[in-house]
Amino acid sequence: MAGSGQIRQLRRRIRSVKSTQKITRAMEMIAASRILKAQRRVVAARPYAEQIREVIAGLAIDNEVRQHPLLQVREVNTVAVVVCTSDRGLAGAYNANVLKIAERTIREEESAGRDVRIFVVGRKGAAYFAYRGRRAERAWSGISDAPEVDSAAGVADAVMERYASGEIDRVWLVYTDFRSSLVQAPVRMELLPVKPSEFEGGSRINPEVIFEPSGADLLTRLIPRYVESKVYHGLLESSASEHASRQRAMKSATENASDVAASLSRVMNQARQDQITTEISEIVGGAEALSAG
Amino acid sequence: MATAATTMHVEVVSAERAVLSCEATELYARGIEGQIGILPGHQPALIALDVGPVKIVLADGQVELIAVHRGLLFVDADRRCIVLADVAEPASGIDVRRARAKATQLEQQLEADPHDEVLLAAMKRNRIRLEVAEAASIL
Repeated sequence: MAGSGQIRQLRRRIRSVKSTQKITRAMEMIAASRILKAQRRVVAARPYAEQIREVIAGLAIDNEVRQHPLLQVREVNTVAVVVCTSDRGLAGAYNANVLKIAERTIREEESAGRDVRIFVVGRKGAAYFAYRGRRAERAWSGISDAPEVDSAAGVADAVMERYASGEIDRVWLVYTDFRSSLVQAPVRMELLPVKPSEFEGGSRINPEVIFEPSGADLLTRLIPRYVESKVYHGLLESSASEHASRQRAMKSATENASDVAASLSRVMNQARQDQITTEISEIVGGAEALSAG
Repeated sequence: MATAATTMHVEVVSAERAVLSCEATELYARGIEGQIGILPGHQPALIALDVGPVKIVLADGQVELIAVHRGLLFVDADRRCIVLADVAEPASGIDVRRARAKATQLEQQLEADPHDEVLLAAMKRNRIRLEVAEAASIL
């Protein structure tokens, strides 16, 4: 039967569930504010990306872009996969989803007989590959929470350098696209080679324009910036998605904690009632025994 | 239209955000091929910028200094001036002491892994920050 020991145990469990709930609620609120911040950064980064593309498209009309080392299409022997994951867990299926796409990409490339090199952003992704006995060629941590341009440039440099030197022949960028706070989809994008079609539809630059240095030279300088801005965009989208995922996961954790606390306190109340009933019947029984005697 | 002829619209856009949007009377920058000055009504131009400060004289006479790294200056026919840069930071917002501290910290981290591209990029940016802050104190 329900003794006071059981009640004490239940009370302790309820207390622990409630304090866990406080933590998950705090994490939920932090994540919610971070989503907004991350979204704002996605929007703030847009003008630059658009302007860069526009200038390149304008220059591409009168200059040949295909010569650029980052646009060289070669026979593909070695492929790089850049995966954007998070540093911290407790974000629902966020990392699992993006790693699934990465894994599929790797498997596809390998079954086509190509070498795959992994570049991973985020501790979770690094741990995933390490556990499966795959060494990531480069692993970065501490940048996925709130990505900065220089970190994106660093990541982009790592693959651009290897692409330009012919070490790798194709680069996939695998990240999570933030569609809305409810929907985030893991996607993959071919980062390199840059396709000339991406620079189509530009308007011809006014012939009066002075170029310093020459248009072709400017183009050479700008294309890497364009690739960087794509990586930066992928990182920003991923970070917004991470926070959205975490917010959802923590929201349902908070709700579950409420449910658990409610059902535990029901059990506890019943136990308390039982105990009281037992005590009353004991007293009544005792009193009757006394009066009968 | 007297004012329209003497000012131009200047926008500074970095990869992170739009940094500045204002009316200005003069703009000076360090181009790859030399120092340049832009006045309202300048011929359209597309100029690659060197690492360094961009000086903008606003319509009200105030001077704005902006640290620019890997930038591009675009002057178009209707008196608009756009500075596109990987990194653009107002010089007034740079904390020299913090930048120095960060430099030493990054150097230590680089010793452990001298080829980490992300650290190298952070290092480069920090160096520019310091350079511009120094240039700003001279100007």
